[in-house]
Amino acid sequence: MAIYMNALHKTRPGAETPSRLRPGFEMYAWFFTRVTGVLFLLMGAFNLVYANLAGGRGHLDAGAQMRWAFFPISFHVESTSVEVTPNFANPFWQVYSFLLITLAATHGLNGVRVILEDYVRRPLLLVWLRALLVGFWLFVLMAAAYLIWGV
Amino acid sequence: MSKLSRVTLLQALAYRGGLPMVAWLLHRISGLGIVCFVSMHVVAAFFLYAAGGVTGTVANALTDFYESVPMQIFILFAMLYHGINGLRIIILDMWPGLMRYNREAMWVQWALFLPMFLLPAILIILGVKV
Repeated sequence: MAIYMNALHKTRPGAETPSRLRPGFEMYAWFFTRVTGVLFLLMGAFNLVYANLAGGRGHLDAGAQMRWAFFPISFHVESTSVEVTPNFANPFWQVYSFLLITLAATHGLNGVRVILEDYVRRPLLLVWLRALLVGFWLFVLMAAAYLIWGV
Repeated sequence: MSKLSRVTLLQALAYRGGLPMVAWLLHRISGLGIVCFVSMHVVAAFFLYAAGGVTGTVANALTDFYESVPMQIFILFAMLYHGINGLRIIILDMWPGLMRYNREAMWVQWALFLPMFLLPAILIILGVKV
């Protein structure tokens, strides 16, 4: 199981180095997944603390707190009694939430790619599925940009 | 690459990998679940705002699906499990020496996960407003 083979474990002499230990796409993808994974936890904690310090306390129910923690877009607290402007909708949160969904879509769809490469055994099908993933990734980014800035 | 074609379903079920196998399997299931939920949510929101009248029914059907109680509980499970298990994987990747405490780490992980998951899940099922 790949995830339990350790990055820093010494491999036997003569054994092939795992692809994610050689500089290249797999290594950067592996590193990106770890870094953004930690980042998501920190961002979620930051969003929760911010929301409660910025006037959300007593106004946001558990559901709204969770929605805002996962993705800080003003839609997520609009149904509550909190005053959305200026604390919950401004350029900072627009850039921040676009950054968050970009990292999240990349983390998640790269994970789907890893799973597909484990199970799909026909090379041509894999090429098509990868292309489909890239297309969907671009769609998510554009839809997010539209929802954040265009609505 | 995996050698799936040589493994029958019965052999796969009989493979007793214990907690590490369960963790690996749940990590994949929860990861795929989050990707599905976020994708549905983005698609539904995009259709709702980009072309309200035409695609509103599709968007509403998607929204009704992921806002249903079983899906809420599944999403809660997936987010929590993927986050906590991912943190364990990262820590063990950074400090390989801790790998010998993997089993204990998994017990700690379940001890953190179960109350954090069960308490809100019960409140959602009972429909308690917090």
